[in-house]
Amino acid sequence: MKAIYKRELRSYFASPIGYVCIAILLALFGFYYYLVMQYRSTSYISSVYSTMFIWCMMVVPILTMRSMSDDQRNKTDQALLTAPVGVTGIVLGKFLACFTVFAVAILGSLLPAVVLSFVSSLKWVTVLGTVLGALFYGGAMIAIGVFISSLTQSQIIAAIGTFGASMFLLIIDQLSGTVTDPVISKVITWISFNSRYRPFTNGVFNISSIVFFLSIMAVFVFLTARRLESKRWS
Amino acid sequence: MIEVRNLTKRYGSNVALDDISFSVEEGTVLGFLGPNGAGKSTTMNIITGYLSASDGSVTVDGLDTLDHPNEVKRKIGYLPEQPPLYQDMTVKEYLNFMYELKKVTLPKKKHIGEICSLVKIENVYGRLIANLSKGYRQRVGIAQALLGNPPVLILDEPTVGLDPKQIIEIRNLVQNLGRSHTVILSSHILPEVQAVCERVVVINNGRLVADGTPDNLSQEMTGNHKLVVRMAGREQEIRSGLLGLSRVKEVASLGSKEPGACDFSVEAEPGVDLRRDLFALASRSGWPILGLKNNDLTLEDVFLRLTGGGYEMPAGKKEAAKK
Repeated sequence: MKAIYKRELRSYFASPIGYVCIAILLALFGFYYYLVMQYRSTSYISSVYSTMFIWCMMVVPILTMRSMSDDQRNKTDQALLTAPVGVTGIVLGKFLACFTVFAVAILGSLLPAVVLSFVSSLKWVTVLGTVLGALFYGGAMIAIGVFISSLTQSQIIAAIGTFGASMFLLIIDQLSGTVTDPVISKVITWISFNSRYRPFTNGVFNISSIVFFLSIMAVFVFLTARRLESKRWS
Repeated sequence: MIEVRNLTKRYGSNVALDDISFSVEEGTVLGFLGPNGAGKSTTMNIITGYLSASDGSVTVDGLDTLDHPNEVKRKIGYLPEQPPLYQDMTVKEYLNFMYELKKVTLPKKKHIGEICSLVKIENVYGRLIANLSKGYRQRVGIAQALLGNPPVLILDEPTVGLDPKQIIEIRNLVQNLGRSHTVILSSHILPEVQAVCERVVVINNGRLVADGTPDNLSQEMTGNHKLVVRMAGREQEIRSGLLGLSRVKEVASLGSKEPGACDFSVEAEPGVDLRRDLFALASRSGWPILGLKNNDLTLEDVFLRLTGGGYEMPAGKKEAAKK
């Protein structure tokens, strides 16, 4: 697992993909920080993150698209699957590498907040809560993206599929307002990543949300491992 | 060392492998022959644990591949048909990655260095794999298979796409490795198998059609011996002399290819070695033998006959192969 993690992480930075994703996210973060500081006050920092949220979710498909599909296309999966490592180890290595790149971008966005904290008093609880929430939400999205990438040999299909999934999870919230049936509306709020994420933005450390996101990650890592395993039998 | 028993692989209704059994002794180089699409790669993929069989079992060194996947994988070095190389890595990074992936415990720098000099890739060690020629990529693939010094090597068409000089180098390398490793090598290049392998398994359409040493196979297929002899003397006299030998079935004159001498093809009755009789006849009659060669089939002929259909393995052999 460690070897795969290291290799994947390296490959994000051997090609420009890792740099480009991180750079664009940080540039956008910087821009929104600037806007907020220009027109409002530091208490609006969490609005930076809520605006940035959709951008982050757009970057996730780019990060995950090649994680599994590339191996199938280049037949490098033969090296991985004939090495003495379990399939879960392979998937975890790839998932964690993806997550690390994402986490670098998100944690990098704290730099402006750190600078601001010298000149004004920040509400660190909400800032850190928002960042933590973004990490959990992002991790769950990455697990889904890695799974979708394992379904196809084409990076493009993987990217668009993951993009679709992440868009669906973003809009599902708005759907719950229009549905009158209380059961369906309840189910939707339960699935909705957004409603799980929102408590974090208020600085609330919500255990059930954390468990929810961790479970999503575990389930999709598991499914991806099964998917790899199943290819041996097809 | 490797036991393959009743291996069957189905893709839906398509049967890729049909009840294949063979075993490989320790320290043998086994040639795996068959036309394209015969099931060579599928068999190798199953032995290495990349695919699973629909039926049957594979044991390596007494361990079942399904029950002890990681132990078995550790014992096998595998070069698939397309070397599993990461284009975005240098040779050095790649070999280091594979070293860690395979959890090799040998001293890292020394071990990798030894392998690189063995397959002669030191001069491209720092280069990106994407920029290497096909020959070098193939060698990096072999280097990767050798990492950890596994007792079993499985090489799927290791000389495809190489130039003649590289082919000879790789063959020599495989031959050398065969002294200390058990090697399965697939190929559809027959001289290669003849040069390198001690034993040959031929499969066609997913079925095992032959199993034996290269020499055995060609003998078995010809059935009876045919000799081509060149003797000095008059054609008619020699011809009647040869026909006068007991146990000679047929004599065909092949004409004169050397002044004062004629070539004849002599076919004996099944299971008879005519060479001594020929010598006696020649010395008696004063017809010096200028040349004598066995006209047995080459492996190439055997292969074409076996895979052209119409040939079933003799029943006794088939049983032996199954055991």
